[in-house]
Amino acid sequence: MPAILAEGLVKHFSPEILAVDGIDLTIGEGQIFGFLGQNGSGKTTTVRMLTTLLRPTKGRAAVNGLDVIRQAAEVRKSIGVALQEASLDDMQTGRELLTLQSRLYGMDGRGLKGRIEKLLAVVDLADAADRLVKTYSGGMKRRLDLAAALVHNPKTVFLDEPTSGLDPISRESIWRYVRELNGDLGVTFFLTTQYLEEADRLADEVAIIEAGKIVALGSPQELKATIGTDVVTVRVAGTEADVERASETARRLEGAEEVRTVDDSVVIYVREGSAAIARVVLMLNEEGLDVREVTLARPTLDDVFLRKTGHHLEAAEQKRLKTDRAANA
Amino acid sequence: MTTIKATFYLTARALRETLRQPGVEVGNIFIPLFFLFVTVGAIGEVSGRAFGVENYKGFQLPVAILQGVAGASSSSGLGMVTDIERGYFDTLMLTPAPRIALVLGRLAADGIRVMVLTTIILSVGLLIGSGIESGPAGAVMVVVVAGAFGLAYSGIGLSIALRTGSPQAAQLGFLIFFPLIFLSPAFAPKEVFAGWLRFLANINPVTYILEGMRSLVLDGWDWPQLAYALIAIGGFAAVTLSMALAALRSRTA
Repeated sequence: MPAILAEGLVKHFSPEILAVDGIDLTIGEGQIFGFLGQNGSGKTTTVRMLTTLLRPTKGRAAVNGLDVIRQAAEVRKSIGVALQEASLDDMQTGRELLTLQSRLYGMDGRGLKGRIEKLLAVVDLADAADRLVKTYSGGMKRRLDLAAALVHNPKTVFLDEPTSGLDPISRESIWRYVRELNGDLGVTFFLTTQYLEEADRLADEVAIIEAGKIVALGSPQELKATIGTDVVTVRVAGTEADVERASETARRLEGAEEVRTVDDSVVIYVREGSAAIARVVLMLNEEGLDVREVTLARPTLDDVFLRKTGHHLEAAEQKRLKTDRAANA
Repeated sequence: MTTIKATFYLTARALRETLRQPGVEVGNIFIPLFFLFVTVGAIGEVSGRAFGVENYKGFQLPVAILQGVAGASSSSGLGMVTDIERGYFDTLMLTPAPRIALVLGRLAADGIRVMVLTTIILSVGLLIGSGIESGPAGAVMVVVVAGAFGLAYSGIGLSIALRTGSPQAAQLGFLIFFPLIFLSPAFAPKEVFAGWLRFLANINPVTYILEGMRSLVLDGWDWPQLAYALIAIGGFAAVTLSMALAALRSRTA
């Protein structure tokens, strides 16, 4: 029995807004599954359907063998969920919040205190347990949220962007907890992320979602292997037209399987990249183009993302930040 | 998880939140008392000659109580909006606790807060000499009627909160109280009202709630009057609480 199963999952918010457009997933027990996509791609909507917060418009889904519509209450008992942005209550202490959470899961007096003590220790919050949540840092809130998702020993845990906005050290500590729980107790994790590194380092299997559809699915290694080539990136000085001309030139390179233009760079997917570098620089010089930087890399998940969606993941996030700033100015 | 157990835990949590932000309740007590003092100061001297009400302090005390109740039970709509905005509401919805307990917990906490607040306003009224004709048992009845009205009234704030998730909209819950109280015999008995206003007062449920509470203060135990008040609260509650439950269902659509 798979831990998570989705068949033809669709969510329309209105006739015009199609947030999730037919998702099929089979996630085995004990897996860490990474759901990679940018803001608005449908990640969170998918999580909300799988965790019974939203009713799918079409299709079906089952978590731990339980139907998310017909057996919603049983599903909720069997899963732990940490939603985006640490969805907590500022006016309770960490300990009070975990106690209330446990009680709502039907756990009572005996053993409850000890269990909460242990959880607080696991997420390094024992010292802050009796402070109001509003005094916690972003990283502490995420850790408390993770603990709250675990009070009832769920078999499957959903984490919606567990580390977005966290510093690298807090991020590492969340990853460590996830790996430990997965390794020691065999907990299945479904985590959404905007960070390629997170998916690459943590997930056994990754799906890339774009505009409500899964465009790639497999282990990070498999996905990178589908690229099948090296990646040569050439940064060119000059105008957009120059970059375009460079891209045209690179297309004539022998063995180039695919060429893309991203900002002021030309990305060339080519076999035996080290041999191709000299040739491509020569060709560009002959065209009178000014090459500023050439890099050769093994394919990364970013290349997979670029190949499947036509744009970088991080770039989209930065662009959003820029437009936010422009809007605020 | 039974509904009663879950409601109990969520009520405790809502009350803890109140204890940690006492400033909110101070306003809910102070503002009605301010209105009580200025209204009695302005009209109290002439009310006997003008419309035959000698004890105007006692006449105004239930108005102050209803205003305090409406203020206090609207603020729980705000608490609900805060939960929704922070996402804590979703976290609670994800637990196996029956979802209706999320609304019942807030309602029960409101009932308790409102009864404490009413006891304070009532005590101030007695201190300044409003008197209470129905005696100590009548004072308890005033508190119970106020608590029931508080439960019914918080249905408004909770439905707005659940429908909109917006703090600005949740404030509307209290604003609705002004037409309701001004279209009731708040300042004078409805016998002296102009015809159109008397008509509106007669179809306003708050009129009966106010008159019921007032009869306990001014006249003693007037059972038919009290029955009208309880029927009015029941009808009011049936409407606001069904609105709140419908709003709760709409959030998971």
